[in-house]
This record gives sequence, C-alpha cells and structure tokens, in this order.
Amino acid sequence: MVDMSQTVALLAPEIVLFVASMLVAVLGLSRSTGIRSLVPWVCVAALVGSILALDAVWTPERIQGARLLFPMLGKYGKALIALIGIGLVAVSAGSIDRRYEEAVARGRASFDALRVVRGEYYAFLLLSLTGAMLVMSAPDLIWLFLGLELVSLPTYIMVAVARTGRRSMEAAMKYFFLGALATAVTLYGFAMLYGATGTMQLIAMRDVLAEQAAGPGLSTTALLGTILTVLGLCFKLAAVPMHFYAPDVYEGAPLPVTAFLSFTPKIAGFSALITVLGAVGWSGHAMVDHDGVRIAYEGLPQPVTAVLWMVAALTMVLGNIGGILQTSLKRTLAYSSIANSGYMLVGVIVGPKGGIGAMYLFMLGYGVMTIATFGVLAALERKGEEVDSFESLAGLRAAHPGLAFLLTVSALSLLGVPPLFGALAKIVLVFVAFEGGQASLAAVLLLNTAIGAVYYLRFVGAAVVNPQNAKSQEVVAIPHWWPKTAAIVAGLGLIVLPAFLSRLVDASATTVDGYVDLGEAVASETER
Amino acid sequence: MIAAPAMLSSVLALAQGPLDAQAAPELRWAGLALLLPLVSGVLCLLCGWLKVRSKLPAALTIAALGGAFATILRLQGVVGETPVVINLFDWISWTWGDGSRFHGFTANVDLYVDRLTVFWMLFVTGLGTLIALYASEYMESDVGKGYTRFFGAVSIFLFAMGCLVMGGNLVMLYLGWEGVGLASYLLIGYYFTKPEAVAAAKKAFIVNRIGDLGLALALFLTWQCYGTVEYAALWKAIEAAPASSEWTAQAIPWLLMLGAFGKSAQLPLYVWLPDAMEGPTPVSALIHAATMVTAGVYLIARMFPLFIVNPDALAAVAWVGGLTALLAATIGMAQYDMKRIWAYSTISQLGYMFLGLGVGTTFGASYHVFTHAFFKALLFLTAGAVMHGFAGQLDIRKLSGLLKVPGFRLVSLLAVLGCFWLAAFPFTAAFFSKDEILVSAFTAKDERVHVLGWIGLVVAALTAYYTFRVGFRVFFGPVKYEPGDEHHGHDDHDHAHGGHDANASHGGHAQHGQHAQHGHHGEFHPHGPRWAIRVPLVLIAVGAILAGWPSYRTMLDHDAPNWVKTQVAQSSAYQGAPAGDHATHGGHDAVSHDAAHADHADDAHADHEHLVLGMDAHTAVGRLGSLACIAGILVSLYLHLINRGAADALRRALMGSIATRWIVVGAERKWMVDEFYDWVIRLPLRLVANILSAIDELLLDAGIVNGLGALPAAVGRIFRPLYGGVVQGYAVTMAGGVALVAAWVIWIWLRGAN
Repeated sequence: MVDMSQTVALLAPEIVLFVASMLVAVLGLSRSTGIRSLVPWVCVAALVGSILALDAVWTPERIQGARLLFPMLGKYGKALIALIGIGLVAVSAGSIDRRYEEAVARGRASFDALRVVRGEYYAFLLLSLTGAMLVMSAPDLIWLFLGLELVSLPTYIMVAVARTGRRSMEAAMKYFFLGALATAVTLYGFAMLYGATGTMQLIAMRDVLAEQAAGPGLSTTALLGTILTVLGLCFKLAAVPMHFYAPDVYEGAPLPVTAFLSFTPKIAGFSALITVLGAVGWSGHAMVDHDGVRIAYEGLPQPVTAVLWMVAALTMVLGNIGGILQTSLKRTLAYSSIANSGYMLVGVIVGPKGGIGAMYLFMLGYGVMTIATFGVLAALERKGEEVDSFESLAGLRAAHPGLAFLLTVSALSLLGVPPLFGALAKIVLVFVAFEGGQASLAAVLLLNTAIGAVYYLRFVGAAVVNPQNAKSQEVVAIPHWWPKTAAIVAGLGLIVLPAFLSRLVDASATTVDGYVDLGEAVASETER
Repeated sequence: MIAAPAMLSSVLALAQGPLDAQAAPELRWAGLALLLPLVSGVLCLLCGWLKVRSKLPAALTIAALGGAFATILRLQGVVGETPVVINLFDWISWTWGDGSRFHGFTANVDLYVDRLTVFWMLFVTGLGTLIALYASEYMESDVGKGYTRFFGAVSIFLFAMGCLVMGGNLVMLYLGWEGVGLASYLLIGYYFTKPEAVAAAKKAFIVNRIGDLGLALALFLTWQCYGTVEYAALWKAIEAAPASSEWTAQAIPWLLMLGAFGKSAQLPLYVWLPDAMEGPTPVSALIHAATMVTAGVYLIARMFPLFIVNPDALAAVAWVGGLTALLAATIGMAQYDMKRIWAYSTISQLGYMFLGLGVGTTFGASYHVFTHAFFKALLFLTAGAVMHGFAGQLDIRKLSGLLKVPGFRLVSLLAVLGCFWLAAFPFTAAFFSKDEILVSAFTAKDERVHVLGWIGLVVAALTAYYTFRVGFRVFFGPVKYEPGDEHHGHDDHDHAHGGHDANASHGGHAQHGQHAQHGHHGEFHPHGPRWAIRVPLVLIAVGAILAGWPSYRTMLDHDAPNWVKTQVAQSSAYQGAPAGDHATHGGHDAVSHDAAHADHADDAHADHEHLVLGMDAHTAVGRLGSLACIAGILVSLYLHLINRGAADALRRALMGSIATRWIVVGAERKWMVDEFYDWVIRLPLRLVANILSAIDELLLDAGIVNGLGALPAAVGRIFRPLYGGVVQGYAVTMAGGVALVAAWVIWIWLRGAN
C-alpha cells in the first residue's frame, strides 16, 4: 500500500514553494517599502530552499513508495524548474510594479494596497512553479490534471495583472479562453484513456495497456485518448496545432511574464506528455492491419508516432518561418519558443533511450537562454516602456556593450553556434535522433536551424552591427540590477556550461532511471 | 541535482585531480600549472574592467607564472619513467552502439604528464616568468589599458601553451594550439593603431590557418584510424597495428607536419614570423622565439610513434628543416633590422630542430629547443633593452659601440654572450645540441638525408657570420648612435603613450611634440635599463650557460647520463611507446636503431659505419662545426669591425657584376618569397574571389538567395491570415486542427480495427 506520509514527504519542495507563495502574498501588501522589496528575495530563498529540500527528501525508499512511472524524473526536473525559476524571478524583479513604486517613493501617489500587485504576482509565479513540480511526481491522471491546471491558472492572471492596459487584458482573455479549450481536449483524452483501461493510476494503466499490446494492439479508444491528450498538451508546449495563441499572448503580456510563459508551461507540458506516453510505452507495439495481419514495430504506437512526427515537423517549420516576418521582439521570441518546442518533441519521439534525457538537457539550455535573452531586454527601457522592436535595439553595442554581448551570446546560442551550450544541447538532440532511427526528423531539425538563423541573427545584427538611430538613442538601462544580473549569470552560463557537458548529459539522462517500459513490463509479465 | 554543486566541485577538481593512491601527491596539483595563468588572465580582464592604472596586472601575471613554474619544478621531482594521466574533469565522453573501439569519442580534460611534458613546461614557465618580469618594466609607458591587455594576453598564452603541452589528448592539444595562436595574434597586433602591426597579426593568423587545417585533419584521421585521440590509448593502438598501409594512416604524419610547419615557421609557411616582430619585444622573445614556435617540434616529438613507421615523412621533415635553415640564414645575412635578423635566425635554428627530428634524434631536437630558448630569449631581450633605450632604433647601421655607452655595458656584454651561443661557438650549449643533430644527420640510416649534414655545416658558418655581423657592428667599434623615431619606452619622461595609444590624452600628444624636438636638437640621452630588465637578463644568461651543463657533465664523466636525454627518452618521443614499457623495444626495429644514435655510449659503435672525411662522425662534426663557426666569426670580424668599409665595398662589387648581383638583391629582398606568394597565391585567389563575388552578386544574391530568402517569408504570408488576432478564429483553427488530426488518424489506422 502507498504510505501517505512518505508521499507527502516527497512533496517537500512543493510545500516550501506553497508556503512561500502565501508569505509573499501577505508581504507584498505591507505599507513598508522595505518589506515590499523583500518579496523577490523571499522567492529566491524559497526556490533555493526547495532545491535543498528536494535533495534531502528524494531517497530511494520514498520513491519506491510513491509508485511513480518515472521515479527519478522529479530529481532533475524539479531542480531545473527551481533553478530557472530563480532566473525568472530575477527577470521580473526590476519591472513588476516599478512605476507605481517609484510614484510612491517620490510622493506622487499614496500607498494603496489595492493598487499594488507585487504580492499577487510573485505568489502566482511560485504557485505556477509549484504546479510544474507537481506534474513531475504525478502517480495518476487526476493529479496530473490538477498539476497542469495549477501551472496554467496563475499564468492567466499574471498576464493580466502585471501591467495595466488593454493589450495585456486582451492577451489574458485570449490566453484564458484558448487555454480552456485546450484543457477540454486534454481532459477528453484522459477520459478516453480511463475508458480504455479502467484505471487512473499510471502504472496500472501501463500494465493494462501492456496486456492489450501483447494481444492485438492497443484499443481504438486508448489510441484516440493518447492522441487527444497529446494534442491538448500541445497548447502548453505552444506546438502546432495549438500554437496560435503564442504570438499574440507573448506580445501582449509584460516582458517578464513572456519569459515565464516561454518556460514554465513548456516544461510542465513536456513532463505531462512523457508521463502519459510513458504509460503507452516506447518499446514495441503491434497493429492489426485491414487484412487482419498482426504487424509488430518499434517505438510508440504507429498513429501516435505519426501524429507526433507531424506535430514536431510542423512546429519547427511554422515556428521558424513565422519568426522571419516579425518586427516585435516578443513576437519573434514567441515563434522561437514554438520552434524550440518542435526541437524538443524530437527527443520525446525517440523516447527513454536517450531522447528524453536529451530533451531535458535541451530544456536546461532553453531555460538559460530564455533568462539571458529576456534578462537583457528587461534591463532596458525606452521612454518608460518595454523595448520591443529591433529598431530600438540598433547600436546597443555603443550604449551598453555588456548587454549587447550577452544578447549576442544568447541569440547565437539559440541559433546553435558552437561552442555555446545551446548548440551542444542541439547536437546531442540530433545525435540521439539519428541513433533512435529518426534521421528524417533530425534532418528537418537541422534545416530549421538554418531557417532560424534569419531571425536570430537579426538580434545580433541589430545589437552589434547596426548604428544607433533616433529611436534606439532613447533606450536606457533601468535602475535595477536584478534583470542584468540574471542576464550576466545566464549568459556566462551558456559559455561555461559546455565544459560540463558530459556531466550534464549524464544528469539529464537520470530522468528516465527506474522507468519500466511497456515492452519490458510485457516481458516480465510473460516470465511470471 | 545539477549545475551549481557540479560546477563548484568541477572548479575545485581543476586544481586537484583524482588519482590512484600510489601516485605522488604532488601530481594532484599538476593542474595548478594551467589554473594559475588562467586565473591571472581572468583577473587581468577584471583589472581592465575596473580601469586599473597601476602595475597590478604585471604583478598578478608574474606571480601566477612563478607559481606555475614552481608546480612544474615539483612535478620534475616526482614524475617517474611511466607517464601519468591526471583527469581534471570529464568533458566529452560519448559512446554509441556497443561502445567498443570506434564507437566512442573521449576527450576529457586530462593532463598527460611524462618527462617530455615536464621538460617542455620547465622552460616555458621559467622563461615565461622571467620575461613577464622584464616586460613589467619594458611596457611601463603603457600602464593602464594597454598594460592590462598585454599581461592578460601573456597569461592566456601561458594557459594555452600549458594546454598544448600538458593536454592528455589531441583535442586539448588542438585547443591549446589555437589558444596560443590567438594570444600570438593579440600580441603581434598589440600596437593596433599601427597598420604594419595589424597586417602582421593578420598574416600570422592566416598563414597559421593553413597549418591548423593540417592539424585538424590529422586529428580526424587519427580518430578514424586508431579510434582514439587520447595519447595513452593511442600508443596502445599504434603498438597493436604499427604500420598500417591505409592511405589515411599514411597521411597522418604528413598532415601533422603541415601543422608543425605553420606554427614553427618552416618552409613554405615561415613568412609570418619575421613580420611578427611588430609585436612588443618581450613577446618576440617569449612567443616568437623561445616557446610558441617550438610547439611544432613538440607536436612531432610527442607524435613520434606515428612518424617512426613512416620513413618518407621523416625524410621530408629533415629536408624541409635543412632547407629552411639554409634559406633563413641567407636572408638573415642581408637584413639591417636587429630584431628581424634574430627572427630569421630563429627560423633557421628551428630548421635545425626539424632536421634533428627528421633524422630521428628527438633528443637532439629537444636539446636544441632547450638551449635555443635561453640564448634566443637573451638576444631578443637585449635587443629590446637597446630599443627601449634608443627610442625604437634597431637599424644596425645606425648603432655602434654600445659597449662603451654608459648604462648599456651589462646589456652589451650579455648580448655578445648570446651571439657566441647562437653562433654555436665551441663548448657553448648550442654547440653540443647542434652537434647532436648534425652527427645524427651524417649517421642516419636513411641515405637520403646525409647531404643535409653538409648543408647544416654551411648554415653553421653562415650563422656565425650574420650573428657577429650584428654583434660587432652594434656593440663594438666607435660609439655612434641615432635615436629612433618612436618614443615608447621613454619612462624617464613619464608620459602617456601618445604614439600608439588611440585614447591618448592631449597631454600625451603635447609630450610627443616636445619629444620630437628633443630628437632634432640632438639632445637625445639613451637611458639604461633598471633592475626589472637587468635581473631577468642576467638570470636568462645564467640559464643559457647552464643549458650546456648536461653535456659538460657527460664530457667529464662518460657514464653520466645526459639529463635532457633522460627526459626525452622516457616519453613517447623516443621509443614509440611510453618509457618503462620495455616489452615494446623488440617490436620496433627502426626505433631501437634511431635510439642507438642518440645514445653516446653506443655512438662509438655506430659511428664506425659512417665515416666523415675519414674520421668518425662525432669527431668530424665537432671539428668541422668549430671550424665553420670560427671562420664565420673571423670573416665577420674583418668586415664589420676591423674594416667596415670593406663590407660596403664588397656589396658594391657584388652589385657591380650582373653575374653576382642577384645574390645581394635576392638576400636583401628575402628571395622575393613574399612577392612570390603574392603573385602565385594571393593574386589568383583575389581574381577568383572577384569573379565569384560578381557571380554571387549577379546570380546568387539577386536570384537564388533572395528568392530562397523570400520563400519562407512568402510562405509565412500565406499563413498570416490564420493569426488575425480574433480569439474566435484561433479557437476554430485549433479545434479544426484537432479534428483534422483525429480524422486523419482514424482514417489511416483505425478504419479496420475493432
């Protein structure tokens, strides 16, 4: 039987974050400026604390008791979420509430607890991260669903609350409606999976599906359920066909929220995706064709592979092509986020034999690059507004050489220029795709990297090559050190991390440790 | 847990590598030799950011290099006959398939420490420390931005050189190789406001690219043929299959050679080195004379197991070395710029080293590297002291009798000492090391290289002549000098570096003007160097003298082992397998044969077979070499000290006759090699480039590229209506997409299913 206390102990990182989110919500309402400015520090402390808690509670016995499909996924994944979370907090810290705080400090406005949003913003940020962590230790579909909702619901509010104005309201509404639609699709898929297997427990579901696979193959309901789940989760990943919201919402949301949106829902979505696919299994399925002949093949069930293949290829292509036409930095980065989801889907298709590890390695790189890019943009402003056009970045080198350097490093890393970390993570992904028999996808990935050069190099061109213009001369650095520090640490990380590549590859490969694939479950079944 | 703790422990591991229990504890700290210069490089960068305007960067660099030297000295005490691999941290370790041979690629940050490594690092770090100390005074007129940049680059150089020499695999060697190339580029172009310096830096970088291409290809082929690029595993693989007839295996030494010729300035890639003298003089001494340019020799010595099985490649190395020595010596005879003459002499001496490698005496080559490092550094540094004191004057026609100029007595004496060493005067250190190379050339098993011994003797005479042409003209004779037009190094004026610093203050310019007036009114007072220049000079001179100590000891006591030979013999440079692994001796016939040559005890036996002028090779080379040297010095003495007019008369006479005119013009214009390259390589390349550029602009850019570039944008426009911004539209598209996929799946796969 499941020992409840052990399961709760495993949730220590989430509990730390939850408590901190409550604390932050209260602190943010304080009349004292000093206490209000403590809020980001509390967030960072909570995230560090959750890493430490994770290290302390993640013992083999407890994992055994929790009956997880991917028992070791949380160890790497939650640490990754907390680490990138620290960067996301730092990116936010300069801009959230800054206008209002300045007005209060100068005495132009009196403090009004109803108008200050700092508390809510950071509380929701931490709650969303908590949700992403919960997804990684979901033993059943209900837990998984609630975790996913806990990721999404706070983000809808974050889009709206962090900046007043019509555009962020519009973006929030769009995001909410379309998110609800996608959630419905996911839920429909979950319901069909339950219908096909009669259980919500992922491990039990795997065993039932293993029995089906050993016979004539998965039932239609199970297959359709899996596919609908995948499609619904595509919303979280910002993948085709659920990617339409991304450019509008990313553009409409305040810059730090855009950074948050391009990482947190993505890692939660990918974790949920591999959790559900983990129940279906990568190692061997069979189909009965129209003539009643049983055909065995490797990997995920053929229809699922086909859907994922199409989704991955289209996501890469549409993401990169869409990025070319943009003039808004945030819209460009939205398309970049779409394209990167496509790259990571390649790892998901390859599966636990290297693919998932490579996907999480790439996720680490993507997170660091996100912090570096958005950190630079968040450290700049023009006439009190966010910098959101290539024109405003022109000649950044002359005014802020350090920031221009960091932006160049992160753009080149996103593009995939060795020896930066993004390139090496991408090379590992390509390598794994070839190994896993997905050479055609690897080719699509490489081709898309070339297309992506068009808009990634535009960042470099604007910041380093182009001369200053009238618009970009008005760009100044904001008087806060948080985003700049985040950008510096992340940018240097992109340069330094390649030295630890081997170690990081090993670490990210531990995510699938202890996972028993369906084929192996079938084998052990027949032995018994 | 990822990143943070992993990174911390890795940084700590940089300094302290894990080792098995029986290894000496000193070996654990070998990583310091790399870490310290890296740290000082980073600190110099910080100094640059913080706009430090003191001598702090120099102090940091000297301390770090001194620490590295101390580390290597400790290593020398403990490193044994068997090489040790020290793993600093894992970097690349990939396997695929079943992970067997050829199914994996490993290039960790390892150190491969054997006696050759330590031997090389000893003089690299030792001279590095002394020259950094020298530079702390020499560069002091640039204190501030330039000073920091200079010492940062020197630190980077030492770090990269450490990677190159101590790295445990070819990938680390390659990274170090590129790193020293970068440092060299930065330092040659140090005076980046001077067009010549920029051109020279570019030339060095581009010419080295050709060599580096060879090295990179050799690296790939090594992995392809032997399945590994790690030395320890590579020696085992070569031992298992010593003589592969595959063309790829045959090509490796030739490609390595190309890399070595680029870095070590040999034919046909030597042209960058003379121009590299545009860099500050301490850099010329350290990088372009004593250490970096010997990397090619190190490469071939380290990879000698691959050369031993390929006699043709060895013969090619010998011939290229011998011809380079001759060519550079003839050019050196006709130059007037002191630093350039020393540059050509460096090329010529490097030629001797390659000759030594080619005839199989890695010991002789390494010994010559060692002795050359000291006396050539001494010559460059004394030239630098002269340049420092005489406002950049280096023309040997405009300097005379410096021995009698107050403050320059010590410098002149040391320079003349250096001249004796470069000329390989009997019983100097260079005499013994050159002797070793020439004896091996005369006695080599390969008949094709014997004539190179004679060429080597001719070069010895030429070397003695051009060396003392400088020595007698500049340091002896009547006192006479004209200051140069540069004023860097005039520390007594204590002004900003107006001429070279792009950011010079107005004050600096004013000083410049004043200074120019000084020169015109003949009020120039040369100033002698202070202690930070004198101390390294004396220490390096002592080093140059002591470099001969291993041979003196052998002369006194025939049974005493030559220290350098012990160092080289117990490494991969000698036997095709790490020393101590005696089982391999029998397997390598060629190896033991060559090994015998370098061994004094066996020499007597070997030399009987190779008589030179009726004497055994050893005696003959000793006598002929002394004769050549003394003859060269005597000719020089007459032409350049006793009767200086005769030299000009001789030149006029040679110029007068059409039959001999080409000798003078050719030598003075460096045999037109630069012009030849311009015409044969640069001009056709430029033509092709222009044609391609025209095609590119007219056809590719206008048609294909713009077309292709417009294609994604056009496709993007097709999809644009989908992103209209109306939420209902998005919802319909998303739901439609889901429905489409579901329909597709059901249609294709699930039609017939239950």
